[in-house]
Order: sequence, then C-alpha cells, then structure tokens
Amino acid sequence: MKTVIETKDLVRKFGEAETQVTALSHVSTSIKEGEFTAIIGPSGSGKTTLLQLIGGLDEPDGGDVLLSGTNIANMSGKQLSDFRRDHIGFIFQSYNLIPVLSAEENIEYIMLLQGVSAAERKARVREMLALVGLEGLGDRRPAQLSGGQQQRVAVARAMASKPDIILADEPTANLDSTTGIALLDTMRDLNAQLNMTFVFSTHDQKIMDRADRLIHLEDGVIQLDETRQS
Amino acid sequence: MLSLKLAWRNLFRNTRRTLLTCMLVTSSLVVIILVDGIMLGMIDVMVGGITKTLEGEAQVNRKGFRENFEPELFLSDPDTISLALATDARVAGHAPRVIIGSMIASPFNTTGGLVYGVDANSELGVSRLKEATYEGSYLSGVKREILLGKLMAELLEVSLGDRIIITAAQVDTSEITQELFRVTGLFEFGPEEMDQSLAFINLSAAQPLMGMNGHVHQIAIRFVDPEDAKNKSLPTLINLNKGDVEALGWLDLQPSIGGMIEMSSYASAIVGAVLFVLTSLGVINSMFMSIYERIYEFGVAKAIGTTPRQIITLVLLEAFLLALMACAFGILIGYLASSYFESNGISMGRMEMSGVLLDGNMYTQVRPYQFVTFPIYVTLLTVAAAIYPAIFASRIVPSRALQRAL
Repeated sequence: MKTVIETKDLVRKFGEAETQVTALSHVSTSIKEGEFTAIIGPSGSGKTTLLQLIGGLDEPDGGDVLLSGTNIANMSGKQLSDFRRDHIGFIFQSYNLIPVLSAEENIEYIMLLQGVSAAERKARVREMLALVGLEGLGDRRPAQLSGGQQQRVAVARAMASKPDIILADEPTANLDSTTGIALLDTMRDLNAQLNMTFVFSTHDQKIMDRADRLIHLEDGVIQLDETRQS
Repeated sequence: MLSLKLAWRNLFRNTRRTLLTCMLVTSSLVVIILVDGIMLGMIDVMVGGITKTLEGEAQVNRKGFRENFEPELFLSDPDTISLALATDARVAGHAPRVIIGSMIASPFNTTGGLVYGVDANSELGVSRLKEATYEGSYLSGVKREILLGKLMAELLEVSLGDRIIITAAQVDTSEITQELFRVTGLFEFGPEEMDQSLAFINLSAAQPLMGMNGHVHQIAIRFVDPEDAKNKSLPTLINLNKGDVEALGWLDLQPSIGGMIEMSSYASAIVGAVLFVLTSLGVINSMFMSIYERIYEFGVAKAIGTTPRQIITLVLLEAFLLALMACAFGILIGYLASSYFESNGISMGRMEMSGVLLDGNMYTQVRPYQFVTFPIYVTLLTVAAAIYPAIFASRIVPSRALQRAL
C-alpha cells in the first residue's frame, strides 16, 4: 500500500517568548492508503494541530507534510486551496454545515467548487445521502436535522469530492455515545467499501476501539503508534 | 445557481439588518432621484423666468445696445429681420421693441425707468406681459395707453386713468420730447427691479415719440423648441449675425444665469456624492457584521477548498443582490414621490434669485434616466463598498477561524 500522508519532524509552536507553547514537537509519522487511523490523546495534546497541519490549514514552524508524495509547504495559497478541495475531505467537531443550504445543497456545494456538472452533482448527492443513510432528508436544512444527522451530512460532503484522505477532528465530540458510535461505524463501512483513508482524532475510548491504528499524542509528542487487527 | 441561492439566503440570515441596510440604500436612491428632479424643475423655472417673462429665448440687437440702451443703437432694417423670422419654421414668435430710457412723471412724483414700445399682438407670443397685467387691461393699440409696473405705480401714486408724462431724448437730434399717456393697466412680473422700473406703451406711439420712423431697438424671439436657444450653431441666429447686428440666445444674453444653472447641476452631483459616501459606510458596516457572524463558516469554506476569489465573489454577489433589492424599492418609491411632486409641486414660498422670481410651487421633473442611470450608480457603488469586506473575508485563515469559533 502506498503512503498517502507523511509528516517529517513537524514542529508547531503558539505564542511568543515566555508564553510560547509547543503544540507539536518533531512529529514524524506516515499513514498508508485505506488506513482507518485514530489520533488519540488528552485535550491539549496536539491532535487538532496535527490534523490541521496535515490538512494544510496551518503552517508548521518546522518540518514537512507530504501528501501522496507532494510537499504542501511548496504550494501557493491557490494551489493549496485546490489541493484541499480535490484531495482532502474535512469533518469538524461542530458539524460545520452552511445553515442556509439544505443537506443536499451542502453536499453539492463542494462539487460546485470542483466544477462538477449539474447532472453529476445531483447523482452524486443522491449516492452520498444513501451511503450515510439519509435518503429522503436531503431537502432539510441543518437546523431541521439532529446532531448525528448533521454530522452524517458532513461526512457525505467530505466524501462527495472523492478525496484521497478524510480528516475528522473529533467528529463525535458533540454527539451522544450511541450516535457517535453509529457515525464511526458508518465511516468504518465507507473506509472498507471505498478504501478511503480516514484519519480522525478522538479521546473517546469507545470510538478509538474501532480504529485500525492508534497514534497516541501527549504534549505534542507521539508516545505510541500501535496497529491493531480489525 | 447555487452560489446565487447561497448569496440570496445569506442576505436573510439577519432579515432586520438586511432590511435596514436596504432602506438606507433605497433612501439614498429616492433622495437623489428627487434632488435631481427638483434641480431640473428649478432650472426650468429659472430659464422660464428669464425667457418667458420679457427677455425671450433669443434677441436681435445692435451690438452694444444692451450695455447702456443707447437710443441711437437701433436696428436699421427690422423688416428684413422680421421677415426672416416669420418664415423660419423654428421660430414660434418674435416681437419688435423700442426701448427708451426716460423720465416718467405723474402729477405727484417722478422716476426714471425704461419704457418699452411694443406691438401688443407680437408680444403675446414672446413675453407674459398680458398674463402679468393684473389690473386694468392689456395694450389694445390705442395711442395714449400705458402699462406701469406695480411698484412704479405705487411710487408715482397713480392708478388706472391717471396721467403720465414720458420725457425722453429723441434719436439723432437728442431733442427732448414729451408725451402724455393715461394708465390703462398695472402689471406685476415679480422681480422688484422690473416692477419698479418698467413701463409699456404701444410701438406705434413709441416710434414717433423717439423719432424712429419704422425702426426698433430689439426683436425678441421665442422658438418652437426652447433648446434651440442654447444652440450656438443654429442657422436662425447665425444668419442674423451680420455686421453690427447680433442675435444671441438667452445663455449668451444672461451668462450669469447660465453659470448658476451649471452650479445647480453640480449640486445634484454633490448631494449624490455625499449620500453615496454615507450609504457606502452603512453597507460596509453591514457587510462586516455579516462576515463576523459567519467567520467560522468562512473558515470551514476555505478549509474545504473555497478559494479567496470565490469568497470575494460570494460577498460581492450578496452586495449586488442587496443593491438590486434596494433599487427595486428605490425606483418604485422614487417614481411615486417624483410623480407626486411633478403634479402637485413642492411649496417653495416666494423668492427671487438673480432677478428671477421663484414663486409658489416647485415642480419636480421625472426623466427616464433617473430610473436607469442612478440605480446603476447605486448598484455599482454598493458592490464597490462591499469590496473591502469581501477581501477581508477572503483573507480569513481557516485554522484561526475554526479556533475562534470553538
């Protein structure tokens, strides 16, 4: 399996002088295509920072991020936007749907950015809604959906652009445990069906039990990297 | 289409704010439409005041006559000029005049003034002397009749039927000549200067008084299309400008009024500019508030691949839709208000500007361009006002925006 994510000696610091905090300290790891990886650790351990650096949402103070062999540090702002749009799907903790658009339109939006034709957009929206089990709810706006349903729409949106990698920052944090586990099972199924690479952060034991691989972060340092049998 | 839908729905996330901003833009458009209509109305009144009261839209004089009203500077061949004007389809009317600087005396008082010898019928087509005659009767051609301005009559302490002696120096001989007249009418043009210093007698009485057998000092002209008077290359005027004869439109006869009218046009532009600056500030404020409320969303949008350019386009599209909405209301309200004041006028009281009386109501003028050009300006400026907020939104750093929201 080819390596799709590789971090080399990643360093990220916040603040200045005596108030400076090291969020990530020389983090090096690699993730292969189709892996279902959880980044775990307590609050403040650097999980979100690592995901943001991998996703090109933030710039490291040192080290490199290579996605499918491409060093994103060398990309211009526009190239990075295009790369994110075409290769990375994001799922955030707080649903992050556009409230004035329906579930269908939220999913369609990213394809619009990609320049996908209207007919294909419609077809793919239907497909994605079916994949996340939300058939018949496409015309509802986020406020008319439960938290779990909204996060499923977010998963569908992340997948709609057919990315290589999906990065999810504590996707179940705002969900009750049953809904959270159901969402993870959906992501797990999609990972198995589509061989899509999933990297998500969590500090929920029940959620991390579903991952193939666990990367333990503490104080910005990888303490343990364990691969498990599914 | 989805972008348009998104922009439209974004506008109504905070309906109250959008409507308030919309009202601000609408109000500006309505005000600029009304101000322009009022300015046009005012110009119309001023031009009408000059051209319709007495001056006419153009005049033929001997060069230098208008400077001091020297009686010797008369038109030596008025019949040829009258014939040319009578056969010109662009000319609606023309009136020959003898203008005499004279002493006007009653049994009780004496004053100096200008006595106009006019042809009663021709004058009907050029000036509003007949309409201004509020007491007695208009000239009928009877030899000794005279019309006095209201203020002159008060000064001379005369009323209808009273005797008036005109004393003047004859042309060429400069011999003093006197003639008796009886007040047959009183007129009021409005401007104090005119009502105090003008008197009108029949042309047939003025010419012998001045020894001007068949000659006149001035021929006033009214055109079929008043705009012709401003046309410096109009053949009617060019053809009459020969030798020591000059034929000038009212803009050349009254250059100070032309300047004032030009200033009035600038006034619309100044009012418009001030309104647009204030409106732009309102739009910028509103757009910034809207962006700050959605900073997390913009962060997410950028995270999933929306380019800065696409974010700029979205914000500008929102401003464009806001402007369209405001213009729709503005055009409707502006048209209704402007049409109302076009019919009913705006009460202006009574005031005199540069010898022109603005009396009673000011009627606005409704023009198609006010509902096309001004809304286009308003739309462009609203969109321009949104450029700065749009650039701000496009520069939002996703990681910071996401942190701020958490």
